[in-house]
Amino acid sequence: MKPVNFDYARPGDVSAVLDLLKDDTRLVKLIAGGQSLGPMLNMRLVQPDLVVDLTGVAELKGVDDRKDEIVVGACITHADIEDYRVPDVTHDALPTVARGIAYRAVRNRGTMGGSLTHADPSADWVSMLSAIGAKVTLRGPSGSRTLPVEDYMIGALEADLAHGEMLVSISIPKLSARARWGYYKSCRKTGEFAHAIGAFVIDPERQVSRAVFGATESRPIVVTDARQLLGDLNKELSSSAFDAKAADAMIEAAGMVDAIDRKIHVVALRRAIEQAH
Amino acid sequence: MNKVALIVNGSPATATVEPRTHLADFLRETQNLTGTHIGCEHGVCGACTLLIDGVPARSCITFAAMCEGAHITTVEGLDNDEIAAELRAAFSREHGLQCGYCTPGMIVSARDVVMRMDNPSEHDIRVAMSGNLCRCTGYVGIVRAIQSVVADRRSRGIAAIRDGGRKELGPVGSGHAAAAIAVAGTPARTPDKKKSAAAAPAASSAKSDADFKPQTSFVQSFTVAHPADVVWDFFGRVGEVASCLPGASLNGEPVDGHVQGMIKVKVGPIAADFHGVADVTRDEATRSGTIIGSGKDARSNSATKGVISYTVKPGENPAQTRVDVTIGFTLTGMLAQFSRSGLVQDVANRLIGAFVQNLEARLAHQGDGAPAPAVAAEFDAGSLMTSMIKDRIKQLFAKLFGRT
Repeated sequence: MKPVNFDYARPGDVSAVLDLLKDDTRLVKLIAGGQSLGPMLNMRLVQPDLVVDLTGVAELKGVDDRKDEIVVGACITHADIEDYRVPDVTHDALPTVARGIAYRAVRNRGTMGGSLTHADPSADWVSMLSAIGAKVTLRGPSGSRTLPVEDYMIGALEADLAHGEMLVSISIPKLSARARWGYYKSCRKTGEFAHAIGAFVIDPERQVSRAVFGATESRPIVVTDARQLLGDLNKELSSSAFDAKAADAMIEAAGMVDAIDRKIHVVALRRAIEQAH
Repeated sequence: MNKVALIVNGSPATATVEPRTHLADFLRETQNLTGTHIGCEHGVCGACTLLIDGVPARSCITFAAMCEGAHITTVEGLDNDEIAAELRAAFSREHGLQCGYCTPGMIVSARDVVMRMDNPSEHDIRVAMSGNLCRCTGYVGIVRAIQSVVADRRSRGIAAIRDGGRKELGPVGSGHAAAAIAVAGTPARTPDKKKSAAAAPAASSAKSDADFKPQTSFVQSFTVAHPADVVWDFFGRVGEVASCLPGASLNGEPVDGHVQGMIKVKVGPIAADFHGVADVTRDEATRSGTIIGSGKDARSNSATKGVISYTVKPGENPAQTRVDVTIGFTLTGMLAQFSRSGLVQDVANRLIGAFVQNLEARLAHQGDGAPAPAVAAEFDAGSLMTSMIKDRIKQLFAKLFGRT
């Protein structure tokens, strides 16, 4: 249970990280908190030549509070969100989700950027940040690009990173006063990988109605116009209006073939609506 | 090797270690602080939990080099800690330990609960402590001990500190040291990953158990615009069939129904090369056949066994052929232990989807004499995925909302 022998670098800024990523003669892995990569290294599932520690880059721990969104660096931890060291702009959605990620000892090191890049379908952030409409910003040799969180995940353990590219920040939109949200995950054991996640965000002022079926076998199923599931934007949210049949049809059309699996996912979203905040 | 300097239990502690040395090994091997226990060594059991910069973290999945300059507190450093002292008394009183293996981690996590949670219910405590496993006590005594310390401190007017006193952003342990560019692992690195490919043992036959039942299987049928004779012949050329499986290649043509080969699979950061053998059988009468292969990846010490069964039938008209393919596989070893079935299923689905696509493309090229299309040299789940999933999502939205 010891990793292979790798080299280690702790660059001081993003451009130095990008310089190290250019090297295609060696397998280079970026590490932030290491709470997902660490176990894979220990089990030798991943055998890099060079591990590049991102936590020495001040920019990646920055927070930029803008008019309509808050931009957090890739190395912001789950505990930073949970403890409100990052100002909450989501009616407590992100701190509540953060509180349910793994265990406190993991949340003190695990990062939002690391979780998104590791791209585990069962992870919390990819589902909740997709529901909320967050975006990621990547930087690479040919400049920077921004894309929706749900597009950043290609499949199980695959993030949309070109050669030499890295995730630098996550932009989280500010929810307006009447926004509602919900999040429910089904786990066999507290803190372990979820079997199903249901998440949604309704924000009438911003004309947003989004629902997510997460913890699929691959990327989350994101319904960007979820009025059919969540009801009219101008009406009071009610779980009795939830159309379970429509939800089931949606995820079946998205490729979820197992009927029990679909049932768990539909129930997860229904419970997210029942427990809406 | 590089010099790592930490502050352990209030005193400077320096040692020259490899970058791969995790914090628990640093403390146990170089500082003789064996109170930090190693259980699962992949961040699940909580035995190695200690304080980094005053808050709990897993020392088995935190590299010592990443904590340069940080304050580390082990169970040995909690002798004079007020909360820890109260917890020790409560654990003794409530029978919160038996063998003691989990106890250092339990005390550290329990201290965090007492410090941060104002008025936790039994359920709250159980949830907060669920990252620390105990196989002796059944947790009842542990939970009771924590409840009693919380109640006692709150009655003495000591309030909870929600953030545990942490003010900095980013992973605990980070941010104390200057940048360091490329510290080498060891002067002479053993090329252990190169040798693995060559040293992979090849079994003599894959057929050992005739009633092999794959854990996962997948059935697919498709029709190609070629007569059944042509398709049946195609399936007889194992090399061509294998080359439809992205990343698969054979060492030569089959001899007495045996053939050696390999398949390279890459999923995110995981790369595996399965080397092995396949047995090929064909039944002319039923126009059906099987290819059973088994292989090992020496790097991850994992093995896979898979079967491809096919039946070739005439289609609706003589120029068409219907092909039924069943692909099944079983994965054992490290990769299987790590992988939750869903992840394996996702990768397998992508692999099989690509196989069928390539098979159809190859068969389509049969008649026209054009060179066969090139197939990826390794299965890269990422590059294959983009187009497939985008199509799927597009179809979904087209179906639901009548637009694309």
